[in-house]
Amino acid sequence: MIGATVMLALFPMIGVPRVWLLYLFLFFIYLALANMWNLLAGYSGLISLCPAAFIGLAGYTMAILTWVGWPYYIGIILGGIVAAFFAALISVPVFRMKGIYFAIGTLVVPEILRYVFTLWAPVGKPVYGGGAGYMVKGVSEVSQAQIYWLAWAVGVASIFLMRYILRSKIGSGLAAIRDNDITAASAGVNVFKLKLYSFVISAFVTGLAGAIFYSLQGYIEPVSAFSVRWLIIIMLATVIGGEGTEEGPIMGTIIAVFLYFLLARYAEISLIIQGIILVAIMLLAPQGIMGFIRETRIYRSLVQ
Amino acid sequence: MSLLVDLATPIAMGILLGGLYSIIALGLSLVFGVVKEINIAHGDFVILGSYFGYVAMTVIGIDPILSLIIGIPLFFGIGFAIQKYLLNRAFRISMDATLIIAFGISIILQNTYQLVWTALSRGLTTSYALESFSVGPIHVPLVYLLDLIVAIVVMFFLREFLRRTYLGMAIRAAAQDWKAAQLMGISTNRVYAVTFGIGTALAAIAGVFLGLTFPFTPVSGMPFLIIALGVVVLGGLGSIAGTLVAGMAFGLAQTLGGYFFGVTAQMLVAYMMVLVVLTVIPRGIFR
Amino acid sequence: MRSKALLRGSNIDVFHGSFQALWDVSLSVNSGEIVAIIGANGSGKSTLLDTISGLIHPAKGSMEFEGKNISALEPFQIVDLGISLLPEGGRIFPDLTVLENLKIGSYNRKARPESTENLQRVYQLFPVLETKKPRLAKTLSGGEKQMLALGRSLMSNPKLVLLDEMSLGLAPLLVNDLYKTLQEIRTRGITILFVEQNVRRSLAEADRAYIMETGRIVLSGKVDDLREEEKVKKAYFGT
Repeated sequence: MIGATVMLALFPMIGVPRVWLLYLFLFFIYLALANMWNLLAGYSGLISLCPAAFIGLAGYTMAILTWVGWPYYIGIILGGIVAAFFAALISVPVFRMKGIYFAIGTLVVPEILRYVFTLWAPVGKPVYGGGAGYMVKGVSEVSQAQIYWLAWAVGVASIFLMRYILRSKIGSGLAAIRDNDITAASAGVNVFKLKLYSFVISAFVTGLAGAIFYSLQGYIEPVSAFSVRWLIIIMLATVIGGEGTEEGPIMGTIIAVFLYFLLARYAEISLIIQGIILVAIMLLAPQGIMGFIRETRIYRSLVQ
Repeated sequence: MSLLVDLATPIAMGILLGGLYSIIALGLSLVFGVVKEINIAHGDFVILGSYFGYVAMTVIGIDPILSLIIGIPLFFGIGFAIQKYLLNRAFRISMDATLIIAFGISIILQNTYQLVWTALSRGLTTSYALESFSVGPIHVPLVYLLDLIVAIVVMFFLREFLRRTYLGMAIRAAAQDWKAAQLMGISTNRVYAVTFGIGTALAAIAGVFLGLTFPFTPVSGMPFLIIALGVVVLGGLGSIAGTLVAGMAFGLAQTLGGYFFGVTAQMLVAYMMVLVVLTVIPRGIFR
Repeated sequence: MRSKALLRGSNIDVFHGSFQALWDVSLSVNSGEIVAIIGANGSGKSTLLDTISGLIHPAKGSMEFEGKNISALEPFQIVDLGISLLPEGGRIFPDLTVLENLKIGSYNRKARPESTENLQRVYQLFPVLETKKPRLAKTLSGGEKQMLALGRSLMSNPKLVLLDEMSLGLAPLLVNDLYKTLQEIRTRGITILFVEQNVRRSLAEADRAYIMETGRIVLSGKVDDLREEEKVKKAYFGT
């Protein structure tokens, strides 16, 4: 496992074909995104429909900062912080909404942000007339390998982060909440605080990943930044792999990103197929690959 | 005094627009009240209705409102099948599963529209869709008035159906206590499928009138879904009249927001109101 | 020996998740009888009724009604066959009127044609329901709600009526009236299986009884025979 990870880090140096690098880049970005979504949906009982909000927000932060002369890597970190801060801000109204209402609330947020960034041009003149899209300044000179390593870092970090959180006190609290909000509360678990922690941490890492993505892409515009397309791949990755499991997002992301690559040429059909797969998996194998594996005797005998 | 006169048109338009919003929200509200699931693909079903009207108009050559004669039973059938074969199964898995599946359906629909009709903005531009009329200082597009009239007519029929038929009573009973309903010999699976079918048929009606009122694109479902969600929560579950009033509230928020803050900001005002409504309205037990 | 039992449950095991609620439960109810199931809270009596009415399915064993296996049927199908459950707490529909509550009781196809007649019969039993017909059910008093629930369960033309703690929370005089009504219902040819915590009441009204404890049947038999063992029961339930 560690060996593979290190090897993947070395890829840019040994002249691996660019397509591979691109795939791996996306893989690590989506790995981080999927892990963070899993933290909320699989472990905290919060189906969040707003990862795009944090992705776009962090991306814009980074892009705008490059216009003011700040290097992109500082922008990435600040992007994550802005996303985390925003999450804390909206958690107050959003957590008041229980269950399904939470999902609705999170649905609205990226839409609102899309509107805001379409109308608001904080620096310079927007490149795209009317809509406020931005080029990311100063990235074209940076080697792609550097950005690739950042993606690698955030992807790998997300795995360790999940490990750490789930084994900590936060993790056991979350397990209690996932089973039953009310019981957990009466058992002394501070439900709001734990959900807040998950939400903010998830937003931070999601923001980092998003900002790194836009560093490579070199430009950002509101429609795709806050688009629901982020969510479909994230959901697909988490669900295929298995919600609520640690290994799930890893396996799911491998498949989901591969699928995305395979079908990238066919724009709409690709998304239709992804939608169909999502529905099919939820109906036929809702536990995902990991869930399926856990049921098999081989796994059970290994674990015993 | 002059302010009042200036405001007269946006106020009138807001109230009439509320008719459209309340029809859009009606299907959502019915399904939510009975089946206790929020169909986040509802907006996309509404747009399906818009495209259906579009095809009727451009390919077959019949008036979109007339096409509803086929559209309503067709959409009922589609909704019935989706609930019966997909969502009823999802229920047994978990609440989250229904949400994710609805999301999947939404993606499938949106991109199918994109594939077939491209991202180009479309509209149901019948002759009467372009007409407007004036009453004193108020100047309003004719379709807005149509929207309100249709909303009231549809709501009337829905109310009568729920009150006077055995099936309608069964739907109301299932909404109040699904276990007790089962003990009355009601198949809740079937009731849910019927309710979802009605919800989808209502979406068809809403879609046609939406298409007559506004231009639409493959992704138009989302903004209207969001407003519909606000209307449903504000109007109160199970209250048809409440949905109408709430629809008007949102219509007003949009038109007045546009008047005071500019056309580009009007959706933003409506969205903010949705967030406020979601935060402030007290919750009952969900299922 | 040919079984003439209307209802027969054999070796039923029922689970709530991983928790076993019923252990090897067998019972039978003959046509025209009034049978009681007596037990304290948590003894599994409600679970047993839920299993008969199809809300729960047994993991093992079988439930037969008129010789037909109903263990796998859905509740609405079981109502069609002629079993009606009055659930714990009555569970009337609060936002339907009294009349609508009664009408919905005859929802199933077979009972609908006789809906008007059945309505009259229910009004005869409970005149107050006729007086209050247009009122919303939630405005009724506790006793009236229970009468409504009982009336509603009769609207489906049942052959067998299951009553889950009908007297819970009601004043004794009211309970007397309700049980008198039960006897009247029996004269119409309807078989009754009721669940009760009150031992004395149960033995007074029923022909036969089953005593349940933690999901098992510990005693059963004709009421007169059981009374002999009442000393044991008095110690147990302290009634």
